[in-house]
Order: sequence, then structure tokens, then C-alpha cells
Amino acid sequence: MFFRMIKGVLLRQKGKMFMIAFTIALGASLATAMLSVMFDVGDKVNQELKTYGANITVVAKEASVVDSLYEVDGASSIPTSYLKEADVGNVKKIFWAFNIVDFAPFIETHVNVGGKDAIMVGSWFNHHLSLDTGEELDAGVISMRSWWTIEDGRWLDEGQKGDADKVMLGTTLAQELGVSAGDTVKIACGKKSGEYEVVGIYNAGSDEDSEIFAPLDLVQDLSKTDGLITSIEVSAITTPDNELSRQAAKDPAKLTVAEYETWYCTAYVSSICYQLQEAIPDGVAKAVRQVAESEGAILDKTQLLMVLITILALIGSALGISNLITASVMERSQEIGLLKAIGAHDRAISALLLAEMIIVAILGGAVGFGVGYGFAQIIGYTVFSSSINLSPMVIPLVVTLVILVTLAGSIPAIRTVLRLDPAEVLHGR
Amino acid sequence: MKRSTMYLRMITASLARRKSRMLVALLAVTVGSTILAGLVMVYYDMPRQMGEQFLAYGANMIFVPSSDSDGMTSEEIEQAALNIEGDVEGVISYCYESATINDAPVVVAGCDLNATLETSPYWQIEGALPQAKGEILVGLNQADFFSLHVGDKVTVSYIPSDVKAAIEGENLNGEVEGKVQKEFTVSGLLDTGSTEEDYFFISEEDMAALTGETLTYDVTELRVNADSDALAASVERIQQAVPGVTPQLVKRITESQTTVLSKLSALVLLVTIITLALTMICVATTMTAVVTERRREIGLRKALGASDKSIMLEFMGEGLMLGLIGGLLGSLLGFGFAYLVSTNVFNSTITFLPALVPVTVFVALAVTALACIMPVRNATKVDPALVLKGE
Repeated sequence: MFFRMIKGVLLRQKGKMFMIAFTIALGASLATAMLSVMFDVGDKVNQELKTYGANITVVAKEASVVDSLYEVDGASSIPTSYLKEADVGNVKKIFWAFNIVDFAPFIETHVNVGGKDAIMVGSWFNHHLSLDTGEELDAGVISMRSWWTIEDGRWLDEGQKGDADKVMLGTTLAQELGVSAGDTVKIACGKKSGEYEVVGIYNAGSDEDSEIFAPLDLVQDLSKTDGLITSIEVSAITTPDNELSRQAAKDPAKLTVAEYETWYCTAYVSSICYQLQEAIPDGVAKAVRQVAESEGAILDKTQLLMVLITILALIGSALGISNLITASVMERSQEIGLLKAIGAHDRAISALLLAEMIIVAILGGAVGFGVGYGFAQIIGYTVFSSSINLSPMVIPLVVTLVILVTLAGSIPAIRTVLRLDPAEVLHGR
Repeated sequence: MKRSTMYLRMITASLARRKSRMLVALLAVTVGSTILAGLVMVYYDMPRQMGEQFLAYGANMIFVPSSDSDGMTSEEIEQAALNIEGDVEGVISYCYESATINDAPVVVAGCDLNATLETSPYWQIEGALPQAKGEILVGLNQADFFSLHVGDKVTVSYIPSDVKAAIEGENLNGEVEGKVQKEFTVSGLLDTGSTEEDYFFISEEDMAALTGETLTYDVTELRVNADSDALAASVERIQQAVPGVTPQLVKRITESQTTVLSKLSALVLLVTIITLALTMICVATTMTAVVTERRREIGLRKALGASDKSIMLEFMGEGLMLGLIGGLLGSLLGFGFAYLVSTNVFNSTITFLPALVPVTVFVALAVTALACIMPVRNATKVDPALVLKGE
């Protein structure tokens, strides 16, 4: 009998029930979309912040001191200590390998180009890597110097055969030499020298504007440093630093075993640096504070902003749903009065109304969940051009929200209606 | 009694008598307006607030001396800074000099060290910034090289350029006449992960005392809170106005900020649009439910001889009244939300946008009016006898 009554209501009052289900679906979809985006926004923004370039550099021990000092003095010197090119691949073999989104080796040397002293940098441009894990990656300067603009010509393309002995020039250097894309320049390093075609002129907005960029092999060949590199730049997705990671950065040996485990297994910039140092013999991995610290600040702020907006949206959809349910329960005071008049118990009436609402809520919620997931994907593709991952937290949260809100909306209304005198209600007063 | 007074009275009485239901409707409208006002305010203010967060990346504009001059004077820098469009959040000028410590060549930078807090907030210092005279900040690489710790004493030797020129070619180490020596206390070690770690930093006064000359600067770093167009315009103006200074944009910072900021704005915009659309539909369904409930009343009025037009007018009046109150309340609450966001997330206040109040009220009015029209029209179309019988 109970089920028949519920079925009757659902079928007879189709329009009304549809409206309630529709509102619940709206609320649930809003909650789903906002929660999904909120849980994933950290990763997405982190990816975006990679446009600022590497947040970790690995150099050979004590390599930097010598070079930087002589540079200021105006004399030229060649760095004295190197890393091995063969070790570069180890970067992708550390514990947090999946968090490393980009990396490239660099070799620097002082050269003479067209009668001028300049620094020549060898690196990857769009080096294609097929890793043991099955991951495919295009790493190199093109993605790690995303703020560069090409003033003339084009990027070096490692896929193209003839590009192996071509170079790119910074705008300042190109202006001084009066060179444009397509010209050839004479580059001498020690006793070796050669003529190279310039494929492009880049504008970096920094000291790199007076440097030459060329494929790694070419520079190694010129400077007779086969198989050697001066530094590796690494772009890693990191967790913002906290007290533990700062403490660990100073001296990991001072941590307790439990603290060490936590630190080692969290993607702090300091733990990734530590692991890189383990992977690369004689290397010193340093966090580029300018990038690493700022990333943390922006990430925290964005997440907090999304949390607050999500809370507002959740409150909004909760009030929207419970409001409508209250309104629609109250509307049925006549029907309830009649039930009471023919002897129904308060409990039976409450059970009946609640069961109806919950069924409608589940239907509406399920539809809303699907729609909301769709909305989240729209946001993901429009803003970040990638899909939003569905966090497992979202489903229980949305289910709890919908059920709680439905109960919160219907219980007070049912109590008010039950308190009314059946005679008065039926009279229409 | 005048018609208009009667009309007002009917509307207010109707709202007052049916308190609980009207509260439900009012709540719906208020929530909708709060979300509208709050999110729009946050969206509007976000680029500025987020822009401040990007200040953490450090300087986005630098001044270097033009190729024909040796250094920039502080007057030139000040004059150039006046030509910048946008808020200059921090300025720091560095004067680099070569000196020696234990006969090893080093680079010492003289600057107003407290200004680094604004231009380079990412600097991590073990110890403290030099505050008193005779204190020095040491880059981590150099500290390793000379095994210096906080509190250690270090002697910096400087050979003025005229002395250097006079003894050209001779050994500069050891005893040279005219060599200036000063003892400094290490106040802190600097960790940045980049080239700053190779330098020593002292205050401008100490630098002037060391060199015995008025300082001219080699690099000025500026942090300007402005978009990329304004920055480019500033660069051109400075080039025109101050010939001794060559301004440059740090492209890595300016370009990346534009990319990331536009993504974040797009995110908040999209979230705002979706939330608003869904909330407004919620408001409309609630209003519809509240009005539909009153079919019997409409039937009774029609039976008593009211015209469709007057019924519509009265319902619209009620709806609009709710919209007005809800819209006003919502604007206030929305401002409260935006204020909460900016104090909690960005630690700054938000300016109230007066223009948003009429917009919010207008949207609230439009939504309630639209939500009323449909059910009232349906009710007026039906034969009063049928409605009154409850069929």
C-alpha cells in the first residue's frame, strides 16, 4: 500500500515532481562541477605555472662560482667541472619521476662569433624521449623557454635532418653582428671553427639575448667536451613548502625516520632536489627560489579562492534545493490534512513524504551528477585544454549533500504541516 | 483611497499574511543575488589581487645604463621611475664592484637591502639582512667557498680604479698603495638557487665608504603592478624621457604572468557563469512553485470579476517587491562574501562596486518577473470554476 501510494504520487503529480527533481539535479550538478574543479585546480594551475621555466637546476659541484666571477671581470673562462650527459636520463628514474614534466641538459662555452666574444649554449630543442615507462615526451628549450618570441626565422627542429648544424641567435647579438635568419656566421672556439646557418633570431628579454643557442652535439663538438654538460634544468610539479620541508632542506639527516619517510614521499621541491642529487653523481640540485617559492604562493591562493567559491556555490545550491522542497511540501497541506482526517498517523505521513522526496532526490541527484561532470569537463577543456580528473571524494560528498539537503528541506516543512488542524486546512483557511 | 495606495496595500498585505512562503521565496531571491554580486565582485577584482601575488616572482622591469654611460645616478633612476604607468611596488638599485677577499676576486653589490623584501620576496636568508653599518650578506656559494658562517668577520679589499690604472699590468694582490680595506661581519647567508648566490651584498653607505665615490648604479630592478601593454608603453616613454637609462622588460616574468593570469581569470569567469546560470534557474523554479500554489486564489479573484490584467499586475508587483528586497540584501551579502574572500585569500581589502547594486537588483527583478509570468498566465487561462473545484 505504502509503495502504491508513493508510485501514485510520483506518477500523478508528474509535473511537480519533475520540477523538484530538476532543481535537485541543478543543485547536484553545480556541486559536482565545483567540487571536481576545486579538487583538480591545484594540478592544473601547477601545470600552467610551468611557463615560468625550470624550478630546479642541477650543476656540477662548485662549477658556478668560477664561471660567474670571471664573467663579471670581462675575461672568458670555460667552466672546469662537468656532469655526464649519460646521467641525464636518470632524472626520469627518481621516485617522483612522474612529477617531472620537462628537463633539458645545457652545455655552455665561450666562443668568438664574427669577431665578437659570446656565450654559446648547447641544449635540446624538442628532443623526443621514449621512456622505459612508456611515457613519450618532447623536452627542451622550446617548452622550457616558453616566453621567448621568435623575431625572425623559426625554431630549430631536431626532427629535421639538416638542423643538426644550425644555430639560433639572440636579438642583441644578431643586431650587433647585423645578421638575420638564413645568413651564416663564423663561430670559433679555441682552435676549432666553422660556418653555421642561423635559422632563427629569438627575443628572450634577458642576458640570453646576447647568446647563441645550438644543438647539444654541435656545441660539445666545438668545445671538445663530448658527453659532458654543464647543467640540467628541471621543471617539476611540486607541493608548496612547509615547516618540515624547510627543515629537511637544511639537513635531511636530522629528521626522525617517520619525518624522513613523509618528506621523501612528498613532492616538496627539497625532496625532489635530494633525489636528483642521488640520481646524478657529482651533481648539486638547487631549487630556483624565484620560481619554486612563487609557485607555492600562487598555488595556495588559487586553491583557497576556489574553495571559497565552491562553498558559496554549495550553500547556494543547498538553499535552492531545500527552499523548493519546503515550498512544495507546504503546498500539499490540503492533501496531508485529508490524510490526517481519515486517520493516518503522523509517522506514516512523514514516512510517505520523506520516501517520495528521497526517491526524487536520488533520481535528480544522479542526473545532476552526470551533468555536473560534463560542466567540469567544459571548464577543464576551455580553460586548461585538458580533462578534469574525477576525484573519488566527489561522489560521496555530492550524495551526502543531496540527501542532507533534502532532509533539511522537508523535515521542518512536514512538521509545520502536521501541526495544522485538519479541519482548518480542509476548509481552506 | 487612491488606486496606487490600495495596490501597494494589497501587495504588502499579501506578503505579510503569507509569511512563511514569502520568506522561502525571499530567501531564494536573496541567495541568488548574493551569489551574483559576490562572484562578480570577486571576478572583477581578481586580476588586481592575483597580480599582487605574482609580485612574488620578483622584478618585471630592469633599468641598465645606456651603452654610452658608465652608470645611472639616483636622479636618473628616480626620473625614469616617474614615467612608469601603474603602481611601482618596489625599486632596488644595485652597484656592482669587483673586490678581493683573501686575494680571491669577488663581486660586491651595494644596495638598499631592505628594498629586497619587496623586489625579491623569494630570497631565503639564513640569519638576517644587514641592518647596522659594517654588516654583509653572503651568497651561499661564496659562503661555501670561503667557509663563512653567520657572525664571522671578513675583510674586503678594494682597489680604486685610478690606482688600478696607474699600476696596470702589475700584480694586484699583496700590498698595493691606495688599497682600501674594510672589515665586515656576516649577518646572513643568501639562498636563491641562482646567480645571486655568487655575490656579497652590503649597504649603500658601506659601498660609498669602500669606493670613496658617490654611487652610480649598474642595474635597477623594479616590480610594477601593471599589464603587459602598460609596461611596454612605460618602456617607450622612459627611452624618450631619460636618455641615460635603458629600460628592459623581464620577458620571463611579464609573458608568463599574462599567460597564467588570463587562465585564472577564464577559470573564475566560467565558474561564475555556470554557478549563476544554475542558481538563477533554482530561484526561478522556487518562485514558480510559490506562485503555482496560489491557483485557487487566482480562480477566486477571477470569479469575483477581476481582469486577467489586474491579477497579473498584482502578482508581478509582489514578485518585483521580493526581487527588490532580495536584490538589495543580496548585494550587501555578496559584498560580504567578496570581502571575506579578499581578506582570507589575498590579505587585502576590496572596494565596494556601487554599480553592481543596480545590476544585481535588475537581474533579481528580471528573474522573479519571468518566474511569475508563466504560472500566473497559466492560472488565468483556466476556467475559474475548475480551479475553485480543485481540479
